[in-house]
Formats: sequence, structure tokens, C-alpha cells
Amino acid sequence: MEIKKLLFVTKFEELWFDALQSLLNLRNASLNHVVFLNVIEREKVAMRRGSGYQKSEEIRLREKANIRFIDWAETLFEQGMEVGVYIVVGSLVRKVIEAVGKEDVDLIVIGRPKQGKLEQFFSGSDVTEIVRRSAKPVLIYKHLSQDSKFSGEPFERPLLATDWMPASTKAVAYLKKLKGVVKEVHVIHVVQEKSLKGTSAMAVQKTRKECRRKLEEVCEELEAAGINARAHVYIGDSATEIEKAARECQATMIITGTSGKDAWKERWIGSIPKSLTEKSMFPSLLIPLNAEDGD
Amino acid sequence: MGKTVLVVDDDPDVRLFNTTVCEENGYTPIEAANGEEGLAILKDKKPDLVILDVLMPKQSGIRLYRELKTSKALKDIRVIILSGIAKKTFLRSQKALTEFGGDEIPEPEIYLEKPVEPEELAEVLKKVLGE
Repeated sequence: MEIKKLLFVTKFEELWFDALQSLLNLRNASLNHVVFLNVIEREKVAMRRGSGYQKSEEIRLREKANIRFIDWAETLFEQGMEVGVYIVVGSLVRKVIEAVGKEDVDLIVIGRPKQGKLEQFFSGSDVTEIVRRSAKPVLIYKHLSQDSKFSGEPFERPLLATDWMPASTKAVAYLKKLKGVVKEVHVIHVVQEKSLKGTSAMAVQKTRKECRRKLEEVCEELEAAGINARAHVYIGDSATEIEKAARECQATMIITGTSGKDAWKERWIGSIPKSLTEKSMFPSLLIPLNAEDGD
Repeated sequence: MGKTVLVVDDDPDVRLFNTTVCEENGYTPIEAANGEEGLAILKDKKPDLVILDVLMPKQSGIRLYRELKTSKALKDIRVIILSGIAKKTFLRSQKALTEFGGDEIPEPEIYLEKPVEPEELAEVLKKVLGE
């Protein structure tokens, strides 16, 4: 499960070349191929009364994207990297999944959508839908604030949130391949508050101790792979505590496994991946359980 | 039958332009939409010349050119690069790949920056194919 090839999806609104450059330390692992994808929304070139399909608008948007991609590609080519490009008209979700299939990428990088709450509730965000449908890990890139102490390289100091489920194990396996890129991992588990209700101080400490022991096992596994790791136990609402932990640890990214629940269930009961996708201030890497090993 | 020219470009409009110029000047064009497809056709048909784009899906012209020039069976096929990517980038990229342990490879016969006029392309075709 190495990252040799990544798909960089941009609308030129949220993700620019600086975002990609902050990921180029992945070359210390095995990244050597970047594929750019720009999806022109169909509505921008759709048929209009009296004027038909806006072919000239499509050409204008394609060439505008092409000019940017040529510029970006030149920088990467000169570093000996391989670069590909797709500029297509259609639905973002479908075109991303198609490009993933055609190129067999190892990682999808996409910016967070800017949507109102109402829009999210009714239509679901495209990015959440991509996370749900993709068999490949998805990095939802967010620019950390410039005045923060955080590094500009997301993979430098990630926070790994684990619930011990198979998807979390997958995420650990993924991280182990990133020696030389990741400097330190903070591994956390969030204990639900409801599971502590009515128990004694001793029982709470016992729960903490047991979680800690399991976290240390994960840390040892990462350290055996040459990556420094530290364990932390948090108590409370998972999404809130993960965010809090990322701040406290000055993490550069949040990583978690995704179990691939069906969309209907996820939309109504919520989920950590959904919350990270749409609300977190940190870049979030979501690794699906069914991600292929690729090695 | 005229000499065969393989046109490798992901843009269908550019492929149409290039193949039309080829046909109008007595050559037989074949098309490929990316480097991967282009390499398969190269091995199968062994054309006399390749008009090669650089920035494409699946496999770039940079990698295809390298594969072509390091293959005993294909290295003598002449190449015109026709791309929006600057020539110096192409050369620097090849240099970087050589430094990473690849073979030293020759420069392409002709490097043209997009767009080109049909007369310019026709003239270059005649020059390279010797007719």
C-alpha cells in the first residue's frame, strides 16, 4: 500500500500548487507520479435557451485549466516525476471515480467543499460521496492557518485515530510504509463517555490502562517500522476529541480508517469520517477498509 | 502507400489536426490517445515517425520517448515532439531521469511548441521523413 501515484483534484478555487508541493516529501517514500484532474461542472457549459451547448465556454475553461496544469507539470517533470492530466466535463464524483479506475492511483487529494448546512443535509457533499465510494485513500486537504505553529507538510506529524477495528489496522499498515516522510505519529483512542457512566474511579482507570496498553502495541508496531509514535487516550465525543487531540499534539493531519458504511446510514447517524471531511480544520486522510495492498 | 506516422496526443482536436496534415501530405496516420496506447502501437506497427505530445494521461510523452529510445527494436524511429511543455523542461526531465539511474538518451529530432500552423508541420514532416 505504497503511495506511488496520486490524483490531485482541483477546481482552482481551494487547491493550488502549493498544496501539492507540501505533499512532495512523499517522494521520500515512493511517490513518482502525479495525475491532475479538473472537472468542469456541467452547469457551466450546459445548454441554454437560445444559445445551445456552450462549446466556446468549455474550450475557454479547458484551456484555462490546461495553462495552469502545464505550468505545474513543468515543475514536476523537471524533478524527474511523471505527470498526467485530465480536464473533463461532468459530475465531480463520477469523474474522480473514473480517473481513479483509469490511472489506478494510490491516493486521492481533494480540497474541502464550501457548502452551507442545508446543502449538505439534502444533497450530501461531493467529497463525502467520493470518500464513501472510493476504494482508495482520500486526503481532504485543508490549508492550516498561516499564523499557526503547524508545519506545511501534512504527512510530517499525523494523528492516527484508532478504534481497533480492521479499518484502523489498515491505517496503521498504510502509515508503516511512510518511513522517511512521517517524523512522529500521535496515536489516539477516544473512549465514549457513556461507556464510563456508573463505574468507579478504579474502573475508569482500568479502561484507560487497557486502552493505553493497546495503543502502545500500535506504537511499537510503528516504531518497529522506523516511525516514532506516542499514545494518548481521550474521553468524550469522538469527532470533538479527535479535533482537540490534533490541536494539542500540533498534528499536521488526522488519519483514520473508514469502514464503508452505506450512505443512508451515514447520512442519518453521522460518522467520524463524515465529520472530518466536512468540519475538521485539519487535513484528513481517510483510508478505506477495502483499500488494496498494492504490494 | 505513404510512410506511417503515429500521432500520440490525448486531445482529439489535436489528433484530428495532425492526422489531417499527415494525410494531406501523403502519409498514413495512426492515432493513440496516451503514452501507454502509443507504446503498444509502436511495438505492433513500427511506424516511420511519431508525433508525440508530452502531458498526457496514463503515460507521458517523456516516459514514452525514453522507452522508445532505450528499446533496440524501436530506437531508430524518428520523433517530433509537439507539446505545450517547454523544450528545456523536456530536456531537464530526461536529465533528471538519467541521474536517477536511467540511460542517457538522445534529444528528439524536432521539438515544436503548440500550436503550430499546418504548413509548419508539413514542412517538418517532409524534412524528417526525407520527402
